[in-house]
Amino acid sequence: MSASHAVPMDAHWGGGASPFGATWQKTMMWIFIVTDGLLFSGLLCGYGYLRMLSPVPWPETTLVFSIPFIAFMTFVLITSSMWMGTAVTAARLGDRKKALNNLILTILGGLIFLGCQAYEWSHIIHEGARLTGALPGSELAQLGVPPQFPASFFLLTGFHGSHVFSGLVILIITAIRTGLGKTPAQGVEMAGLYWHFVDLVWVFIFTLFYLLPS
Amino acid sequence: MSDTASPNPYRIYRTTWVILLIITLAMLAAERFHMPRFALVLFLLSFMMVKAVMISGNFMHLRHEHRRMAYLVGIGILVTSLILFAFLTPEAAHVLAKTPR
Repeated sequence: MSASHAVPMDAHWGGGASPFGATWQKTMMWIFIVTDGLLFSGLLCGYGYLRMLSPVPWPETTLVFSIPFIAFMTFVLITSSMWMGTAVTAARLGDRKKALNNLILTILGGLIFLGCQAYEWSHIIHEGARLTGALPGSELAQLGVPPQFPASFFLLTGFHGSHVFSGLVILIITAIRTGLGKTPAQGVEMAGLYWHFVDLVWVFIFTLFYLLPS
Repeated sequence: MSDTASPNPYRIYRTTWVILLIITLAMLAAERFHMPRFALVLFLLSFMMVKAVMISGNFMHLRHEHRRMAYLVGIGILVTSLILFAFLTPEAAHVLAKTPR
């Protein structure tokens, strides 16, 4: 073994000036968010591609979904993001009770959103939507929905929903640990960054999938 | 993070929330007005970007982070998405042109 192997890691990488002016935890969280953002960017570009190549006109989403219901889901997610931001700031200011209360409200918002999404999924599956297209003879098939439509819907909202679910797990763990006084302010901030990212992705899905005219 | 030093550090979240709701309602209302398709798409995409900037800037505190961090996040995602879209669009147009209708 050469002498260099015996030198502790800190001597090789002492940290020094942080290029992003943030702790390594926060920097890594942002890098994770960028990579996860690229995943959704790829999914949305793929959706755009499928939509452009649709052999029949893309259906009006108002005929398939209840847009006020989707707007309510958006309202819930935006509101939960506000509570999450409040929880992060409260944790930074050392107000553990306020941080915990707002974390619980955020979890509640996330649960309502997931419940709404489960309802929406069951509704559209009942109407005949499958990952590979609409079932022959179903309500959706009668609307002339191309197979790309339900495929895009399930992939986009499914990936987003799985992120909401994992965000909820992180938030529940953070809330329990905050209640026990074990989570530092930065822990709440990391959970918050992830939750806001989930909200951010929904802004794109809501506009590009539900609102964009056919 | 500088907003914790302000008299009411929670105000920014409420203000952002109200603005986001107003924008969302405006986007929903725009669907009801019979705007030309191009204008409607431009309106929706513009406000989508405004919402994204507000969430990342105010909720995720990106505007308080080092400028390099904002560049890493913004340029990283935006440029890669544009490159991906720029590669996919001609391909889609090519397939569309060859597909009998």
